Amino acid sequence: MTMTSDAKTAQLVAIEQSGWGQPFRLVQPRNLAFWVYLVGVGGGALALLRYFGPGAHFYSPALTGGVLLFGLYLVPWLLLLRHQNRYTAQPATLLAAAFAWGGLAATFWIALPANTALLEIWAKLGGTAFASNWAAGLTAPINEEFGKALGLVLLIGLAPRLVRGAYDGFIIGAFIGLGFQVFEDVLYVYNGAAQTFGTDQITSSLQVFLIRGAAGIVSHALFSAIFCAGLMWVLGRTPGERNVPRGVLTMLTAMVFHFAWDDMAGLSGGVAVLAILLPFVIAVVELVTLFYVARHAATQERIWIRMLLQPESDAGVIDPALLAAVSGLRKDRKAFRKLVHSRSRTRHLLDAAADLARELAHARGSETNEVAHARAELLRLRGVR
Amino acid sequence: MTDTAPRGWVPVEHRFLGLDRRTFAPALSVLVIALLLLYGLPGLNAAIPWHNEIRAGDVLDLGDGATAVPPVGWQLESGTLAGTGSVSPAALQVELATGGATITLRGTAFTGTADAFLDQVLRSEGDTPGIDGSRGTVTTAAGLVGVALAGTSPNGDVLDVAFKMATASGEAEAAPALLVRVRTSPGQFERQQDTVGTFLRSITPGAVR
Repeated sequence: MTMTSDAKTAQLVAIEQSGWGQPFRLVQPRNLAFWVYLVGVGGGALALLRYFGPGAHFYSPALTGGVLLFGLYLVPWLLLLRHQNRYTAQPATLLAAAFAWGGLAATFWIALPANTALLEIWAKLGGTAFASNWAAGLTAPINEEFGKALGLVLLIGLAPRLVRGAYDGFIIGAFIGLGFQVFEDVLYVYNGAAQTFGTDQITSSLQVFLIRGAAGIVSHALFSAIFCAGLMWVLGRTPGERNVPRGVLTMLTAMVFHFAWDDMAGLSGGVAVLAILLPFVIAVVELVTLFYVARHAATQERIWIRMLLQPESDAGVIDPALLAAVSGLRKDRKAFRKLVHSRSRTRHLLDAAADLARELAHARGSETNEVAHARAELLRLRGVR
Repeated sequence: MTDTAPRGWVPVEHRFLGLDRRTFAPALSVLVIALLLLYGLPGLNAAIPWHNEIRAGDVLDLGDGATAVPPVGWQLESGTLAGTGSVSPAALQVELATGGATITLRGTAFTGTADAFLDQVLRSEGDTPGIDGSRGTVTTAAGLVGVALAGTSPNGDVLDVAFKMATASGEAEAAPALLVRVRTSPGQFERQQDTVGTFLRSITPGAVR
C-alpha cells in the first residue's frame, strides 16, 4: 500500500516537474514574451518581403523551385523529429512557433543585418583575404546560434511549465534550426540565381538544393539542438539539472561545429585531400556528439516517464521489460524487441505505453475515460485480455 | 465554489500596464540581445573605418589567372589580391571604394556575347534608373573587348562594362562573364574618369591555355 502510494506521489511529481500534458497557447496578450515574439517574427516577415520583393517576378522560377524542393525536403526531417519527440511530445503548435522563429525572426530579422555588419567588421580588421577564409565562421556561430536560441528563451516565457528539461531544449532547438535552415536555403537559391543574373534558374536552384540539402543533414537543426540543450543545462529549469560548465561547453561545441562547417575552405588550407575529407570527418564528429548530447539530455525525461508509468507497472498493466524499454535507451528497446520476437509488435507496445503515459499526463494522474481506454488498449495488445 | 483562476488571469501584484511582470525577464533579455545584434553590430561597423588601402603594385585576382590593377589609394572592401587566396571567376565579387565613387566587379558563368550578357544584367535588374545611354566599346590593354553603357540619374552617374573573359579567340561564348559597375556621386564622374579608364584598361584575362 505504501509502495503504491509512493509510486502515485512520484507520478504526480513527474507530471508537475515535466509539465507534460500542459497545453500551449501562443496568443497571450498579457505576456511580454508574446509581443517580443510577434515583433521578431513580424520583423522577419517584413525583411523577407523586402529582400525577395523587388526580384520576385524575375526570379520566380528559382524561388518557386526552391520553395517546392525545400518544402519536400522538410518531410523526412519532420518525420525524424517526430520520432525524436517521443519522450516530451511537445505540442505541435509550440514546435510550429519554434519553426517560425527560426525561419523568419532568426534568419531575416536578426541574422541578415547582423551578419552583414560583422562580416564587414572582420574584413576591416583582418583584410579581405582573412575575411574570405575566416569571416563566415567567425560570424554565423555568434549571430545565428544566439539568434535562434532567443526563440527558445521566448518559448520558455510563453510556456514556462512546458519547456523544462534539456531534452525540451534539444527538440525545440532542432525545430528552430530546421526553420532557419529551410528559409536560409531558399535565400541561397535566390542568391544563386541572382549571382548568374537569372540565367538558367532551374539548374541553379537544383544545384543549390543538392549541395545545401546534403550539407543540411549536419547543419542548423543539429547545431541548434545541441546549442539549445546546452542552454537548458545552463538555465537548469528542473531540480538537479543545472550544470553550467556542461551547458557552456555544449553551447561552445555547437558554435565550433558551426565555425568548422562555414570555414571548411580555410581549415583545409588549400590542401585538396583535406578539402575532400574534412566535411566527412566533421560530419561524423557532429553526429556522434549529437547522439551523445541527446542521450544525456533525455536522462531526466527517462526518469520522469519511469515515475509516470511505475503505478501502472505495479498494477500489472505494464510489465517490467516494457517499462524498461519505454523509459530506456536504444539498447533497452533492442533487448525488449528480442524478448518479444517481433519488430512490429514491439513498436505497437511501445507506442501504446507512450499513449498511456501521455493520457496520464493530460489527466494529471487521475482516472479519465481516455486513461482507461489507453490502458485497455495496452492490455489488449499485451494479450492480457 | 472553486479557486481556479480563469485562463490568462494575472494577480494584481504581478501586473504592470496590464502585462504580467513575471514574463518580463525572458522577454526583455531576448529584446536586449536581439537589438544588440540588430543595431549594435551595424553601429560598431559604422564606427570602424576601412584600413585596406590599395598600394602601388597591388593586383586584383579575378580568378583563373585573370587580373586587374586597382587604383592606388582606394579601399578594397571585398575581393582578393593576387597571391593571397584563390578565386573562382564564376563567383567573383570585388568592391573598391573611395570618396564618392565605387567600382564593383561581379563574375559569373554566362554563355553568349558580352553584349548579350549586358542585356541579361539589365533585364535582371528591371528598370535601373539612369541607365539609358547608347552602348560603346571598351578595349583593354590586353586586347579584351567589353561593352559599355553609361547613364546619369539624380543620385549620380553609373557606368556598366560587360566583358567575356576569353583567354583565346573562339572561346568567348563559353568564357566566364565579368560585369564592372562604376558608381559616382553627382558631378564626381569627371574627376574619376581617368582613374576608371586606367582600371578598365588594366583588366587582363587569364593566360592562354
